[in-house]
Amino acid sequence: MVPLAHVLLVGVGLFAIGLFGALSRRNAIGILMAVELTLNATALNLVAFNTYLGTGGTAGRDAALGQTVALFVIGIAAAGAIVGLALVLAVYRQQRTISADEIHLLKG
Amino acid sequence: MTDAWLLTFLSPMARAAFYLLAAVTLAGALGVTLTRNLFHSALWLAVTLLGVAGLYLYLGAEFLAVVQVLIYVGAILVLLLFGVMLTARIADPAVPALNRQALLAALAALGAAWALRLAIRQAAALPAGPPAPVPLTTLGRGLVTTYVLPFEVLSLILIGALVGAVVIARPERRR
Repeated sequence: MVPLAHVLLVGVGLFAIGLFGALSRRNAIGILMAVELTLNATALNLVAFNTYLGTGGTAGRDAALGQTVALFVIGIAAAGAIVGLALVLAVYRQQRTISADEIHLLKG
Repeated sequence: MTDAWLLTFLSPMARAAFYLLAAVTLAGALGVTLTRNLFHSALWLAVTLLGVAGLYLYLGAEFLAVVQVLIYVGAILVLLLFGVMLTARIADPAVPALNRQALLAALAALGAAWALRLAIRQAAALPAGPPAPVPLTTLGRGLVTTYVLPFEVLSLILIGALVGAVVIARPERRR
């Protein structure tokens, strides 16, 4: 297997790219996609730690804890994407745009 | 089964496959953030998600790889594509893809990567035994015994999100 650090580095790369996208995309759906990238990086790290540092097999009660939490992360990401897209559609119907820097209803 | 697993994953070919998958994943992520056309962005996202699924396979998490393909590529990505196509002006070349704080955002991302790199240096020193594959039965049994409460809460969150999304996205009734 490759060293654990290399797998974690892939996670860091995904997270950094996702963070950059979430901060710099103008389109709200683009921001959603970037957030999905960061969530994927998190899940990847959890699975990597489970494989490299876990007890493995059926030995411990927590042998699959990392994979279980990664599963929950994927589920939460699905919920987030659903609500996010609904909000985007509602905003588009009202404002006729989904550019994040053209939506400033709360700006005094 | 363990012998076959070791044979598969200790071979240099699997190692090369890992680096190839990692490169594809990161290239796809760059495509997601830097492509101007949002539709192309979504296609690059598919590349990244499939790459991560491949990395799960490499790490011995077959079930998660299947879940990744089914939920992310099958459901979330299709949802995102619908969102892209329902909102106009996605491919307008006059609209820049990035906002004015792109440089600042890049600096923030690089800073975060640097900080996480320091954390990795410590994680690499952890006592890592031989890689431990987890059989699917362990994962499944955990989901219905030890982690049954978070599992049920997750299903509640999902149904709440579904109902909430319908309520939010429904056209407002004229009074």
